[in-house]
Amino acid sequence: MVAIIKKRSLRDFDWLIAALAILIVCFGAWEIRNAVPTETHWQKQLVGLGIALVAMLAIAFTDYRRLVEIAPILYVLGLVLLVIVLVPGIGLKVNGQRCWIKLPGVGQFQPSEFVKIPVVLMLAKYFGKHRSRLLSWKEFTIGCVILGLPIALILLEPDLGQALTYLPLLAVVLFLSSVRMWIVGAVLAAFIVGAPLAYTVGVKTGVLHGYKLERINVILDPENADKRGFGYHTWQSMVTVGEGGLLGARSSEYSQSSLKFLPEPHTDFIFAVTAETTGFVGCLLLLASYALLLTRLIANARRSRDRTGMLVIMAIVGGLIFQIFINVGMAVGMLPVIGVPLPLMSAGLSSVLATFIAIGFAISVQLRRFVN
Amino acid sequence: MKFVDDSQNLRGRLRLIQALILVLLAVLSVRLYVLQIINGQHYAGIAENQRIRLLPIPAPRGVIFDRNGRVLVDSRPIYSIILSREDTKGIDRYTLVKPLSQGLNLDPGLLRERFDLVNKQPAFESILIKEDATQAEMAWVDAHQLEFPALRVEQTPQRRYPAKGVLAHVLGYVQEVSPEQLDEPRFKDKHYKPGDIIGQNGLESTYDDYLRGRDGYRKVIVDSRGHIQKEIDVVPPTPGQDLVTTIDLDLQQAAEDQLQKSATKRGVIVAMDPNNGEILALASYPTFDPNLFSQRITTKAGRAEYTALLNDPQKPLLDRAIQSRYMPGSTWKIPMSVAGLQQGAITIDHSNLLCGGGIQVGNKFTRCMGNHGTPDLRTAITKSCDGYFYRLGLKMTINGIMAMVDEFDLNRRSGIDLPHETLNQTPSPDFKAQMNPRDPEWRDIDTVYSSFGQVYDVITPITLLRTVAGIGVGGKLYIPHLLKELKPSGKEGDADYRSSRAFQSMDPLRPNPKIVPIPTDQHKVVVDGMWGVVNNGGTGASIKMAGFDIAGKTGTAQVVGLGKDVGANKDHSWFVSYAPAYNPEISVLALIENSGFGSLHAAPAVRAIYDVYYQKTRPQQEAPKNNIALRIR
Repeated sequence: MVAIIKKRSLRDFDWLIAALAILIVCFGAWEIRNAVPTETHWQKQLVGLGIALVAMLAIAFTDYRRLVEIAPILYVLGLVLLVIVLVPGIGLKVNGQRCWIKLPGVGQFQPSEFVKIPVVLMLAKYFGKHRSRLLSWKEFTIGCVILGLPIALILLEPDLGQALTYLPLLAVVLFLSSVRMWIVGAVLAAFIVGAPLAYTVGVKTGVLHGYKLERINVILDPENADKRGFGYHTWQSMVTVGEGGLLGARSSEYSQSSLKFLPEPHTDFIFAVTAETTGFVGCLLLLASYALLLTRLIANARRSRDRTGMLVIMAIVGGLIFQIFINVGMAVGMLPVIGVPLPLMSAGLSSVLATFIAIGFAISVQLRRFVN
Repeated sequence: MKFVDDSQNLRGRLRLIQALILVLLAVLSVRLYVLQIINGQHYAGIAENQRIRLLPIPAPRGVIFDRNGRVLVDSRPIYSIILSREDTKGIDRYTLVKPLSQGLNLDPGLLRERFDLVNKQPAFESILIKEDATQAEMAWVDAHQLEFPALRVEQTPQRRYPAKGVLAHVLGYVQEVSPEQLDEPRFKDKHYKPGDIIGQNGLESTYDDYLRGRDGYRKVIVDSRGHIQKEIDVVPPTPGQDLVTTIDLDLQQAAEDQLQKSATKRGVIVAMDPNNGEILALASYPTFDPNLFSQRITTKAGRAEYTALLNDPQKPLLDRAIQSRYMPGSTWKIPMSVAGLQQGAITIDHSNLLCGGGIQVGNKFTRCMGNHGTPDLRTAITKSCDGYFYRLGLKMTINGIMAMVDEFDLNRRSGIDLPHETLNQTPSPDFKAQMNPRDPEWRDIDTVYSSFGQVYDVITPITLLRTVAGIGVGGKLYIPHLLKELKPSGKEGDADYRSSRAFQSMDPLRPNPKIVPIPTDQHKVVVDGMWGVVNNGGTGASIKMAGFDIAGKTGTAQVVGLGKDVGANKDHSWFVSYAPAYNPEISVLALIENSGFGSLHAAPAVRAIYDVYYQKTRPQQEAPKNNIALRIR
């Protein structure tokens, strides 16, 4: 029996998704090496990839339904981790944010990256029941509570960027749970009209001021912004991206990152490094890889044998595209600077591991599409 | 879809999400296209600019020598502490004032002033924090590298001038170009930048273009903190040209000593070669230390020293030889004598005029210092008979005196190669009308005053020396100058080769020398008279030198009216001369301010210069003594 399952599993295993993810991480490790050649981040990233692969396989060959069953326990565990990280002495404070837990001998990890998984499972469990009606307010409220608890804890760290990455999880689940179309339209319309309005009102009333205003102004008009102050990150990232040209800048020895003009080159601004070293062609290939990966995941979601599985995959897809857009948008100067890692590319064990676990779920769902 | 779903069009919603993902990625791609393909060159340029920096290598400034090759001015390497402007971007520089001024023993006020200046001048690459840093201060910078990464130590040349203010007025000094100067057109054309050290006075200023070389630079790659990663290119500096002056340091030293020892320690001594205008010595007292400007001006003590110099009533910064005007007194009689003969007011055979112990013009009697009967011109010069020259002036009339002034260039600057030379005031009806509007008409008494070097004659020592020396060599008025040679620099044929250069008049149309036609016989009469001043019992008899005939003329310039000439208001003492009398090699002038009679103060000072000159030029001969018998001519 075991042998049969394994044989069938190997045949049905989504090799394309796994291979794409591994390829992107390897490419990312190479770019991390370009960004900070003198440090060992790229080696750690490859070690992380090894660990992540094991985790992914373990999840992939586990029945996701059993994990969804115990989602409330995982969810509570996750909340406990988010509380623990806030305790001084256990939680490590970096740049004013207490978002790391130090494990003796292993290193450090970021609970907010991992807690996304139980949140996804929890949402999938709750919204995964057979639907025949439109979304009720009660369901909406419970969804908000499931999402709100971890977000609140993460905001206490405080880590706005990570907290934001939780929002698309619920948004996608609600969207796929018969939320009325006119509400979706209204929310979108409100955002499109509201954002410029809020900006204007904010500036006029003086509520929006200081570095927050500067970070937005540099997006609107980078050439005339405060390039040396709050606009520095965005401006240098744009210069780095632009310098890449069609095929990448020639002098890698004195790149923007190795001369330290580009801040955080191996984490938040890894895309700018990619743009500098591989140019427009490399950037398009990377974005195309993401597109392929996400399309493949959506295809798997479509073929899922139950709503729960479909929701798990789509929430993961929502989380990934959101992070990709925010991170790359920031690197190309379209969005203000928010500390969100680029999935599979940015250096960081937690991020890679969490992403591979998520992909593991997606594969697990896909593997069991014929099983009853 | 494997499961049954009754909710709102799930399939469509999934497709919508798929479409949204592709739209978002497409938006990013378009943005990338704009940044990398359309504006790629633009950003590549910006990236290039911010990592490449040109660090200037200061060109060594030319050394200044005396005529015998002795070093007068050179530069020594010092260590300066520099604050990189790039590294302090975005931070409030003024927060550095306190720690830096404490760590480097700086005056916080001066440091703040520098920062103010930098804020006004966007071109500044770096800010000079401290010159001539000590070992301890450099160690402090080293120890605080982490705290203040913007600080660095650089070696720069610093100008070193002779001690005790020797030659200060001739050499001038260098100083950082000021913000005001950068706005002046004549400096703008030379592309000076803030922080450049330029000649600000004296020869340093006149020949700045030659003394300063062209700065080289290092093209380096820097990181975002301005730390140098690699050197790409080095353009070595072109050194400035060395300058040989006409100054003879021995004569100069003698001149400075004489002024130092003089009664009031205020005055001028100038020695010149009358045959070409080369200045052998030029001393003005009191003097100042030019090292103040090149070394100490940026310190608090240096500022105080400078303020004290500016406010000193003795005006040490003034070059009295070219910037102060004095009444020439009886020295004026020399050009008067030549002009009187030239214009025919007197002739060689009939040069006798009445002394009369003075002259009555209208109701005013102007007296002579003695009663000389009816002397001829020789005697009148030798004895300095005022009465004679009152009458000569009246015979020449004011027009004759004005013609003389013009002939001897006394209404022009000497043209010496030093900046800020003052123009003389010379007699003319216009000048009187201007000076005395209540009585503008020119009267005979004014002609009398003009004829013996008072009231309307106010001239610089350098122009008087040029006139008298020119008369000494028979009517050739050379332009006095201090440049003997600018040495060539670089290799011949190279683009930055600079050839040797001798003195050239700043006014190319001005004849050098200016020829004043003096008939030989007339010339001899005047020289005889001047020879007699020293050698024939004249007013300068006390400085007679055997074997070296000095021809000269004493002068006493009134500072205030007769009878009040005591103490600080004593007359100025003049002596102007050349020697040997009938074949001049050297011409010397001395002026001692407020010391009294010319014969008592200025003449002995001049004699001291001749002594040194004699010993230098006639080494095998024994120094002449005063008591050797008069040479018979």
